[in-house]
Amino acid sequence: MDFNSSLRIAATGLHAQTARMRVIAENIANADSAGKAPGEEPYRRRIPTFQTHYDAEVGGKVVEVGRLAYDMSDFTSRYEPGHPAADASGYVQYPNVNTLIETMDMREAQRTYEANLNVVTVTRQMLGRTIDILRG
Amino acid sequence: MPVFSALTDKMRWHQARQGLLAENVANAETPGYRGRDLAQYDLADRPGGFSSASITTLATQPMHFSVSSSEGGAFGAQRMANFEITPEGNGVSLEDEMMKVTTNMMDYQAATTVYQKSIKILKTALGRSA
Repeated sequence: MDFNSSLRIAATGLHAQTARMRVIAENIANADSAGKAPGEEPYRRRIPTFQTHYDAEVGGKVVEVGRLAYDMSDFTSRYEPGHPAADASGYVQYPNVNTLIETMDMREAQRTYEANLNVVTVTRQMLGRTIDILRG
Repeated sequence: MPVFSALTDKMRWHQARQGLLAENVANAETPGYRGRDLAQYDLADRPGGFSSASITTLATQPMHFSVSSSEGGAFGAQRMANFEITPEGNGVSLEDEMMKVTTNMMDYQAATTVYQKSIKILKTALGRSA
């Protein structure tokens, strides 16, 4: 496994965390997206999944974003009789997105992204040292 | 030149280890991933007099690819003894991995520095100004 494969593996890590951030952004952006009419489902929270697979071209185990799963937990409901999507008893269904959980996920994605970036930086420094031998 | 082949071998070890550490960090959030690392480098453990010769198949077609250097190369990747495993079955701790990445880089730099110094000694012996 050479330095280029290390760089490419770290790049897949960066890519996966970017995709995760995009899903988290979708969730947070739609945290208040209720349906338009009574009985219509609001936005359903999505969960990114990761899986390892061996890439023969890279020569290592890379990470890739798998299926985007739906969170099948219950929607929250709020009493808002004036809302156009309120049902007969005045309750509106809101998405099952908890912004606190999304913020925590976001932090985790950020940290993992930084760790991958650190691997890229360090690998580049090591590559630079190898090239320095040629100069020496 | 035993010094150079020893250093080359050690540098190759660090290179393989860097690949495995990159795998661990990239898969730090993958459920079920346990992480791998190389056994500690030990010169005495490397029989064959630092020979770096390896047998690879001849690629007569551009579609052929060699699988000999995969899976951590000739150094034998092994599973880490995980300190803690998250509920989703992941055993990679980012802090540990960052420490290992930094240590790996510093040891690699030490090896390259010794390599450069050895070249300078050779040059001096040949009568050229280093």
